[in-house]
Amino acid sequence: MKIVISGIGTVSAAGINLSENLDSLRHGKRNSGPVSVFSSCLSYPVFEVKYLPEKWKIDGMRTLSLALAATEEALNDAGLPKQLSEFKAGVCLGTTVASQLNDMDFYNSFRKSGSADLKPVDRFLRGNIAEAVAHTVKAIGPATTVVNACSSGTDAIGIALSWLKSGICNVAIAGGADELNRVPLCGFGSLGILSNSLCAPFDRNRAGLNLGEGAGILVLEREDFYIRRGGKPVLYLSGYGSAADAYHLTAPRPDGKGLESALRSALYDSGISPEEVCFVNAHGTGTIDNDKVEGSVLSRVFGENISFFSTKGYTGHTLGGAGGIEAAYTAAALKEGWIPASAGFACRDDEIPLTPVTENTDIKGSFAVSTSLAFGGNNAAIVIERA
Amino acid sequence: MFISGIGIVFTRGRGIDSLEKALNQGWSSPSLTGPIPAYRVSQETLTDTSLSKKIRRADRFSRMAVLSAVDACRDSCINVNERGKIGIVLSTAFGPHSTTFSFIDDILDYGDANVSPTKFSNSVHNAAASYVSSVLGSRGPTITLAQFSFPFQNALVLAGLWLNEGRCEHVLCGCVDELNAVMEYACKMKLKTATDGKIMPFMFSPAPLSVPGEGGAFFMLSKEKCQNNYGEVTGISFSGKTNGKPDITIIDSDGMTGDETLYRETTNSTVAGYSPLFGSMLIGSAFNFAAASLILKNQLVYKCPVTDNPSGIKLCSTTSETGINQINCVRICGTGKISTIIMQK
Amino acid sequence: MEDSKEMSLGGIRKLLKDLLVENLSLEDIQPEDIKDDEILFGDGLGLDSLDAVEIVVLLQRNFGLEVRDMKQGREIFYSIDTLARYVHGNIKK
Repeated sequence: MKIVISGIGTVSAAGINLSENLDSLRHGKRNSGPVSVFSSCLSYPVFEVKYLPEKWKIDGMRTLSLALAATEEALNDAGLPKQLSEFKAGVCLGTTVASQLNDMDFYNSFRKSGSADLKPVDRFLRGNIAEAVAHTVKAIGPATTVVNACSSGTDAIGIALSWLKSGICNVAIAGGADELNRVPLCGFGSLGILSNSLCAPFDRNRAGLNLGEGAGILVLEREDFYIRRGGKPVLYLSGYGSAADAYHLTAPRPDGKGLESALRSALYDSGISPEEVCFVNAHGTGTIDNDKVEGSVLSRVFGENISFFSTKGYTGHTLGGAGGIEAAYTAAALKEGWIPASAGFACRDDEIPLTPVTENTDIKGSFAVSTSLAFGGNNAAIVIERA
Repeated sequence: MFISGIGIVFTRGRGIDSLEKALNQGWSSPSLTGPIPAYRVSQETLTDTSLSKKIRRADRFSRMAVLSAVDACRDSCINVNERGKIGIVLSTAFGPHSTTFSFIDDILDYGDANVSPTKFSNSVHNAAASYVSSVLGSRGPTITLAQFSFPFQNALVLAGLWLNEGRCEHVLCGCVDELNAVMEYACKMKLKTATDGKIMPFMFSPAPLSVPGEGGAFFMLSKEKCQNNYGEVTGISFSGKTNGKPDITIIDSDGMTGDETLYRETTNSTVAGYSPLFGSMLIGSAFNFAAASLILKNQLVYKCPVTDNPSGIKLCSTTSETGINQINCVRICGTGKISTIIMQK
Repeated sequence: MEDSKEMSLGGIRKLLKDLLVENLSLEDIQPEDIKDDEILFGDGLGLDSLDAVEIVVLLQRNFGLEVRDMKQGREIFYSIDTLARYVHGNIKK
């Protein structure tokens, strides 16, 4: 049973919907700036969503707001109603920030006085991202939140693929979302992997990543269900692979065997060989370690001539949202027949066997891959197919 | 999906033997020293010198995960390196919130630029699964899930799908949740506490009493029946309808999710509930599932630890050897949605 | 003067050993068991990249010292002795 990608929605610093996002990518617009959504003494450049639709602004639940905005776009794109109660619909979303009880005022009050206003706790209990989205769209099928750090979005899409293939649901909302938050900003800063300038994935002089925020959502449907309701498939989610490094809490496995395993598993799941892939949307964070490992693996699996790029130069690293946003971009790129220049890249790094595309490039082909590498050594890849 | 190994860390100790002992001994009092009675895991339980180096940085949450996952692996006698890829699914409701708060302490005490990177790394929800995979050398698919409604059930579903798809031959599937001062404060304010320390699963009250707990429970789940076998998971239903009539229905009523009146409608067979042994947890299903696994393996029904039963339903009121073919494990979440795990010998 | 400089260096070594054992959760090791020329990473004490950034924070918090460049950090963090000399030398400034 093939699984159709029937709708795409995305919100990021690059735009409030997919069309605006693609426009930013096409024109090389990098909408970064200093942190403004909260106070911090840290001055790293970040990628904030500037215009969140008013109807989705939920106080104290920014990640959910982003997810709902992208979900609305995706459902609209799929020609599905806003409420899905008549379908067997599931929701599988990745996040990092929304799964943490990290309200600093709440905790500060508790640690000072032993008591605190419990509204942040109530919000937290209502705000499990998949459960909250399922509640909003009245999805009555399975709902689960993936908290696999930076590969959460890709893993969530992979889980939805399994659900749909098994018939647990006919429709799934899948992807990821994360808001810019002081906790990860401080955390990534302490690890020494935030760049003081705009990130430069795969570049010789890359100096770290920039954090961002956003949401990327795919609507996925069983092909029989989609055709029965009058749809004509254009894009498919054809495979998913996941593998662990079993190496270190924060650093990727230097030999890249975890990512390689995830990639080969995704290709096997799709029933294709590496030669059939026309481009890869890499994780490409701009850190020394990630890009070196990922570049080597891409070369090993696809050869040195594979077209690839990172879009984190346009969105920042959106953590739980990254896999969802990058799946959205990959699907759109395959459909429209072009891929964007890899923002921030200028000079080849001799330790990386290949270089990303430096201009917007027309592509022909039926298959594309999106990869994600996460803290804790999780690696994930999906394969998208054009009909 | 066959249950070939179990590992547990909870208030009464570590290992499936400690749960079996608790099932035989019955109810014991929770700790009464904190803001509310609670079933906490002792520091001693979380100490393992054989793993010291590999988990030296791990926080309590990750330690509970590692110890219960390692024990499940050992219990199964499956060699991770020899028997093909093993997947890992860890599910939690609240994640490593103690470490999140400790990291926020750093921000408040030292400023944004002077915080501990180790604390931050441990506060990321998938750190625990990362430790598990590193300690075991397991490089299969590894996922951490977080949710409040059916954390254990959704993990089991995913494990089953991976096994059916051939992504792995075995899946280490489990749940972990922890307590700390903040969580106990929230429980005190939002839940009704059993001041005598006794959870009463069979009151079917709209305002049940709770005694929060913490711990980890992991299961080695296998596509084929293995040398060590507790039983088989033959279905997971979310519709309220199941096939076959169970010999026992184990219910997750523990005061954690509010109104428990709907559990009364699931009691058409002999009923059990073992939450008074390990505490009220959104992941409590995993511990009841472990008890069910022991019942199936040993063909021994364990007496319910607390038998207050105003409705007069048929309970497991004595420990006795008896033929058990099917157990249904039932959880009803706050919205009224019901889940049933069907287990067979 | 030379003696007091050496004592101060000795005091820093001791403090560093205490800080490392406590903050890096080095179980089964007592601070007094760590030799002055003990290599911190790799085959010595067995620290890794996450420990390295944790040490950067320890230096900031306890001595007000910043290590901006991790390549420089590799030399400073070579052993207890090199770390102590770095702290001692920069505190004087």
